[in-house]
Amino acid sequence: MSKPSDLVQGTLDLLLLKILALEPLNGYAVSLRLKQVSGDVLQVSDGSLYPALHKLEQEGWITAEWKPTENNRRAKFYSLTRLGKKHLERESANWSRLSAAISNVVKLKEA
Amino acid sequence: MRPNHWSYTLPLRLRSLFRRNRVEQDLSEELQYHLDQKTQEYAAAGLTLDEARRKARREFGGVELAKDNCRDARRVSYIQDFLQDLGFGLRLLRTSPAFALVAILTLALGIGANTAIFSVIHGVLLQPLPFPKQDQLMMLWEKDRSGARSNTSWATFMDWNRLNHSFTGIAAVSFWSPTFIGTRDAETLNGFRASSTLFDLMGVKFVQGRNFLPSEDVRGNNFVVILSYGFWQRRFGGDSAVVGKSVQLGSRSYAVVGVLPADFPSVLSFDPRRPADIYTPLAYDATLPYACRDCRHLRAFARLREGVPATQAEAEMNQISANLFREYPTEYSASGVILTPLKDYLVGDVKTALWVLLGSVGFVLLIACVNVANLLLAWAARRQREVALRAALGAHRTRMVRQFVTESLLLSLLGGGFGLILAWSGVVLLQRVRLANLPRLQNVHIDAWTFAFTFGICLLTGLAFGLLPAFRAAKLDLNESLKESGKTTAGRERHRLRSALVFADVALALLLLTGAGLMMKSFVRLLEVNPGFDSSHTLTLTLALWGPKSQDAPAVAFFDQVLQKVQALPGVQSAGIVSQLPLGGNLDMYGVHVEGKTLPNPEEDPSADRYSITTGYLRAMRVPLLRGREFDQRDVATSPWVALVNESMARRFWPGEDPIGKRFRMGDTKGPWRTVVGVAGDVLHRGLDAPHTLQVYLPNTQFTDSLVILAVRTSNDPAALAASVRSEIAALDPQVPISAIATMDEVVSASVENQRFGALLFLLFGAIALLLTAVGIYGVISYGVAQRTHEIGIRLALGAGRQQVLGMIIGEAMRPALLGAALGLCAAFGLTRLLTRLLYNVKPTDPPIFAGVLLLLIGVALLASYIPARRATRVDPMVALRYE
Repeated sequence: MSKPSDLVQGTLDLLLLKILALEPLNGYAVSLRLKQVSGDVLQVSDGSLYPALHKLEQEGWITAEWKPTENNRRAKFYSLTRLGKKHLERESANWSRLSAAISNVVKLKEA
Repeated sequence: MRPNHWSYTLPLRLRSLFRRNRVEQDLSEELQYHLDQKTQEYAAAGLTLDEARRKARREFGGVELAKDNCRDARRVSYIQDFLQDLGFGLRLLRTSPAFALVAILTLALGIGANTAIFSVIHGVLLQPLPFPKQDQLMMLWEKDRSGARSNTSWATFMDWNRLNHSFTGIAAVSFWSPTFIGTRDAETLNGFRASSTLFDLMGVKFVQGRNFLPSEDVRGNNFVVILSYGFWQRRFGGDSAVVGKSVQLGSRSYAVVGVLPADFPSVLSFDPRRPADIYTPLAYDATLPYACRDCRHLRAFARLREGVPATQAEAEMNQISANLFREYPTEYSASGVILTPLKDYLVGDVKTALWVLLGSVGFVLLIACVNVANLLLAWAARRQREVALRAALGAHRTRMVRQFVTESLLLSLLGGGFGLILAWSGVVLLQRVRLANLPRLQNVHIDAWTFAFTFGICLLTGLAFGLLPAFRAAKLDLNESLKESGKTTAGRERHRLRSALVFADVALALLLLTGAGLMMKSFVRLLEVNPGFDSSHTLTLTLALWGPKSQDAPAVAFFDQVLQKVQALPGVQSAGIVSQLPLGGNLDMYGVHVEGKTLPNPEEDPSADRYSITTGYLRAMRVPLLRGREFDQRDVATSPWVALVNESMARRFWPGEDPIGKRFRMGDTKGPWRTVVGVAGDVLHRGLDAPHTLQVYLPNTQFTDSLVILAVRTSNDPAALAASVRSEIAALDPQVPISAIATMDEVVSASVENQRFGALLFLLFGAIALLLTAVGIYGVISYGVAQRTHEIGIRLALGAGRQQVLGMIIGEAMRPALLGAALGLCAAFGLTRLLTRLLYNVKPTDPPIFAGVLLLLIGVALLASYIPARRATRVDPMVALRYE
C-alpha cells in the first residue's frame, strides 16, 4: 500500500484542507499546489493523493463538484465545507501546539 | 458519528451503495483527467506523447490500487464486499448442490433442535409469570416430620396470617370440583375455593368484573364465582355481559363476578392439561369439620413485603410455626415451614430435564459444526486453484478469509432458516400432540426471542466451522497449488486436521449416545415395573354425582345400578367403582391410627392412600387379594366397619402376625374402629417410579364419594366399549357428567409421558449424532482416499497388497476414532451424573450401556471407513498414476 510513510499521520489531511481552504481546486491542481508549497520535502505520490481526497470527502470535510476547467474539460473540484473549516481550525491549532512542543524538545541542549 | 455529519455523509454513502456505477465512472474520469493533465505537462516539457503518457503513469503508481484505496475511503466497501462475497458464495453453492445440501441439512438438524429446545426453555423456564414483581410470590408449606412439604389447614392458615410481618398477605386455596349444569349437558369442572385475597395478592387484572369481596368470603354469602378465560370462552362464547349472570353448579346457583385474563397461568391447577375453570370464595369458618388444625388440605400462597428477603420471611415463619407446635403438640408432627418461589413450584420438576436436554442438543450442534467444518475443508481444498489464483492476483489474505467466512455464514443462515422451520414444526407438534406434560406449555412460541437465539447460534456456528477452513485456505502455498503437484502425498498437517475431526465427532457422539442409552434403559425399566394391577383391557371413566343424588345412600344405590347395567354389556368381565385411580394423579391420603400402635402424637402416625370401592373393583383391576375376603353384600352402612389393607401396610404394622381381625381408625382419632378383613397386593399410586405406599380399601357403603371412577374389564377392545357404557349411564340419568374416558393403558402411559418424552428426545438426539458421525467419518475418509489416489496407486504398483491398503486406510480412521471414543467415555463418565435425577433404577455409569454404546460407535466408525477404504483397494494403479 502506498501510504506517505514520511508524512506524520494526519498531516496530509491538514495540508489538503489548508490548500483547499484557499480556493476550490481539482485533484491535479491540488497535486501541483502541494509540490509548489512544500517543494520536494513532502513527497506525496499522485496515487495516494486521491484516496486521501476521497477520505476527506467521505468525512464530510470537503465537498466535490464537477465543473468545466479552463481548457473546457470536466473535472472534479473540491472545496471546504463548514465542517471542514472547523476541523481545519482545530487541527491547525493542534499542529501548532505539537510542532512547537517538538521543536522545543529538539532544541534542548545536551547537558 | 455526530448528527451534523450525517447531512454531508449519508447522501455520499447512499450514493456509493446504490449508484455504484456512476461513482465508479466518476472515479475513472477523475483519475483519467489527472493522467491527461500530467501527460500534457510532460509533453509540453518536450517528451513525445507516448513517453509523456508512460511517465505520467509511472509517477501515478498503480491506478487500480489507487482506485481500490479510494473505494475503501467510501466506508461502504465492507457492505459491498459482503454482498459480492454473498453472490459469489451463492453461485458456488449452486455449482456443488450435493455439498450444499449435506451441509445445510446437517446445520438445519443441529440448529433446529437447539432452537426448539430453547423455545421450550424460554417459554417454560425463562419467561416471567404474568404477575407484577413475581419474585415476591411464594408458596408456603408446613414441614412434616420427614422434612417434606405438606399442605396446611385452615386454623394454621389463619394463625399464619394473624402473626406474620413478612408478607403483604397469605392466601389459601382448596380443590373444588363442582358440576356445571349446561342447557344440554352437565360437566365436572376443575375449580378452586380461594380466599378473597388471592387474586389481589397476585396482582391480577380482571378482563371483566372484579375480585371477590371480603364479605363474599363468608359462609352463606359465598355463592359467587370467577371464571377462567378459557371456560368463559368455551361455555359462554366470551359473552361480554357475563358478569352478573348466574351459573348453575350442582343444585345451587352462583353469580359471576369476574373473568380472569387469558394469560393467567394454570398456577393453581395441578393438572397442566386441564387448567382450572372456575373459582369461588374459600368461605371457611371455625365451625366447619374440615377447618380443624390437622385437616391439611389447603395450599397457601404469599407475597413478600417490599424489601423482605425470603430467608428472613422463612426465619420468622419458622418461629411462628415453632410456637404453634408448642401450643398444639398433638396437632403437628414437626415444626417449621418451607418457602418455595411460585415459579420454582410451577416448573421445578422439569427444570433439570430441560437444561440437560439443552446441553445435549448443544452437543448435537457441535457435531454438526465439526462435520460442516470438515466439508468446508474438503471444499476449500477443491478450490485451491481458485484461491491461489486470487492470491496471485493480489487479493489480501483478510479479504479471502472474509470471503470464506461469508460463505460459511451463508451456509449457517440457510441451515438456520430450515432449522427454524424444523423447530416450528416440532413446537407445534409438541403442543398439538401433547407429547409431554409440561407446565406453561401454552407459553411456548417461536417468537422474537427464538429468532434472536437462532440468529445468534447461526453466527456462532458459522464462525465456529468457517474460520478454521478459511485460515487454512488463506495460508496456502501459492507455488504448490498452482503447480498442482502437491497431490502425491497429502500434507501431514491436513491429515492431522482430518483426524482431529474424526476424533471430535466420535467423542461427542459417544457422550450423547451414552446419555440416550441411559435414558432409554431407564424408561424401559420403568415400563417393566409391575404396577400391581393389570392395565390391559380396562376402560375407566369419571362420574360426578350432584344434588340430592350425591348424598351417601342415593349415591351408593345409583352406583349399584350403573354397575348392574355395565356388567350386563357384552364382553364385560367385571366392573367396579373406586374413589381414586392409581397413577391417575389423585392424592387422597388419611392418617391411620392402628390399635395399640398409635404414637403419643397421633399426627406422627403414617398416612395411607384411601380407596373407597365397590365389590367388583379389585377384580376389574386384577389387584390380587392375598388373604382374607373381599367386600360383599354383608358390608353395608350399618354393618361393622371393615377394611382391606395392602401388603406394605400389613408388613409395617403386623409383621409376622395375621392382620385379619386387627383394627385401626382413619383420619379422626376418635372415629369408629375399622376391622381388617383382607390383604390386597401393593399398587403403585403416585407413579411407576414412586415407592410403595400404605393403602387402605374401604367399602363405598361405609365411606361414600360422589366423584368416582368406574373401571370396566372387558374381553374386547376397551376403547370400543366407551360409547355403550356412556349410553347406559345416560339412560339412568342424563344429567350425570362423564369425563376422563380413557383405557387404563392410557392412564399408565400418561403417567410416564414426561419420562417417555425425555427418552424420546434423547434417542432422537442420539440418532442424529450417530448419523452425523457416520456421515462425517465417511466423508473424511473418502475425501482422504480421493486425495491420495495417486499415492495409493504408487503403493499398489510397488507391490502393496490390497489388504494392506485396506488396513492402512481403516487404521488411519480408527486411530482417532478410538482416541475419541476414549475421551468420550471419560467425558460421559463425568457428565452422565447430571442425569442421575432423571434416571430410574439405572446408575449413571451403567456398564452395559457404556459398553454397548462404545461397540456401536466403533462398529459405525469401522463401517463408515470400510466403504471408502474398499474403494481405495479397487484403484487401478495405471489410472491412479495418471490421476490428477
